[in-house]
Amino acid sequence: MTHKNNKIPFNEDNYTHNINRNNERKLDRRGFMKTLVGAAGVFAVSSLPWGGVAAKELMGLGNKEYPHKKIVDIKSIPVGHSVDFKFPGEHDDAILIRLTETKYVAYQNACTHLRCPVFWEKEKGEMLCPCHHGKFDVETGAPTAGPPRRPLPEIEVIVEKDAVYAVKVKRYEV
Amino acid sequence: MKCNFNFAALLVILMLNIVFTQKMVHQYYFENYVTAMIYCVLNLVLFPVAILIYKQDQKKA
Repeated sequence: MTHKNNKIPFNEDNYTHNINRNNERKLDRRGFMKTLVGAAGVFAVSSLPWGGVAAKELMGLGNKEYPHKKIVDIKSIPVGHSVDFKFPGEHDDAILIRLTETKYVAYQNACTHLRCPVFWEKEKGEMLCPCHHGKFDVETGAPTAGPPRRPLPEIEVIVEKDAVYAVKVKRYEV
Repeated sequence: MKCNFNFAALLVILMLNIVFTQKMVHQYYFENYVTAMIYCVLNLVLFPVAILIYKQDQKKA
């Protein structure tokens, strides 16, 4: 009976049973480790939505094909010229550039920096965003100068019956 | 000096958590969705590892 009041009633896993009365509830080593594990848990939970959205992008949009959309007749776009169009939606501005007799490239022309429209500079042979002088390579859509870091989304085009059609938006691959 | 290895391991895990989260978000915006998912899984795996280390530390004490 004498030792009854003198022992820890049960094995508590908290940091209060080694109370030092001078500075009780001071965060001890074990308590800090618990906090670290908790932080790892918070990181794990908060990274779930990112993984989820990434998986959705991979599955849902990976090979999304839109109805073929006529952009322009071949006759009305000389070599070296460009024409603006909308693809795939009504508000997705895009640009088609005729590089040679047979080679066409098309990009969604919202700059990947702050979404200003990107223009085709025929004389210099490069694509320029006038807002902050971002430049893009016309062959690949890769950024070559200025603030943008990601390439412009490329649009796949086909030539059929003397007209150019937009088929789909290509996924960016490294 | 007991189990200071465990303590350091948890600190390293926290550091890796921060690094992986940063990488995950960036890779997501770079549209490298597979890479983003890899970092997400790594972040998820770190949590049980942290718990294991904590339990192990508990046993030793």
